[in-house]
Amino acid sequence: MPWEKRERGGFYYTRTKKVNGKVVREYVGGGILGELAARLDALERNQQKEEAAAWKEEREQMEALEAPVEELCEAAETLAKAALVADGYHQHKRGEWRKRRGKQDS
Amino acid sequence: MENKTHEIDEHETVTPARRRELLDELRGCIEQAQDGDKEARSKVREVLKEALRLARTLIDLADTAERSVIKRISDDPLVQEEVLPSQLRAMREELAGPEPSPLEKLLAERIVACWLQLQYADTVYAQNLDKMNMVQSEYHQRRLDRLQRRYLSSIKMLAQIRKVGPAVQINIAEKQVNTAS
Repeated sequence: MPWEKRERGGFYYTRTKKVNGKVVREYVGGGILGELAARLDALERNQQKEEAAAWKEEREQMEALEAPVEELCEAAETLAKAALVADGYHQHKRGEWRKRRGKQDS
Repeated sequence: MENKTHEIDEHETVTPARRRELLDELRGCIEQAQDGDKEARSKVREVLKEALRLARTLIDLADTAERSVIKRISDDPLVQEEVLPSQLRAMREELAGPEPSPLEKLLAERIVACWLQLQYADTVYAQNLDKMNMVQSEYHQRRLDRLQRRYLSSIKMLAQIRKVGPAVQINIAEKQVNTAS
């Protein structure tokens, strides 16, 4: 909880963050100062959330745009390989395509 | 090996599910044929007989992909409907060459689709470079690398098919596979 109750009464606004992997609590203040800091932090969190949502949407749009081309590539590659194999070629060590030696079936 | 090949009806369309099924079947047969299995090689030829219908759906797929990217590139109807499509058509024709086989046409189609996607991704990256954080920049760079690899591999395959010459054809116009050397 960012608002910590003090023994003397009243509340104190705190921020928790990670510094070099360790959780560190920063004591900001009470009263108006704490209130302002809390509002600023809430605004920043909202902005981060909005940015994250926009980035997610952008990524999804890019991926949706890429998907049919990816499918086309895989299919065309398979058909081309199939044509080569049907004609008696084989791929040498995932590289060059070579004609198979010896008797070919028709 | 079970033979799942059906009678060919060139007017019947291949559903996406059937397309995936055919391609999976082909991939399996290719792998076996690569290991020297002659029966698998005959099966590859059998499955290739469905190439006419398959190629048609793939061209549709390329067309859909092209239109989606063009829409993102420009809002101008003239660019969307005339300028870019005619540039891409010219590029496709140049790549496919005179009297291309259906396979060459398909591979040229693939190169153009990959090229367009790469150009678009490159432009988006360049335009937003100053607004991106580290994560976004890395994502775009990885995407560009992937699209670049895909583009180069598409060129390589067309070159490979050209290299082996006219013997390798999926002669879908006559609904047969011509593998004569």
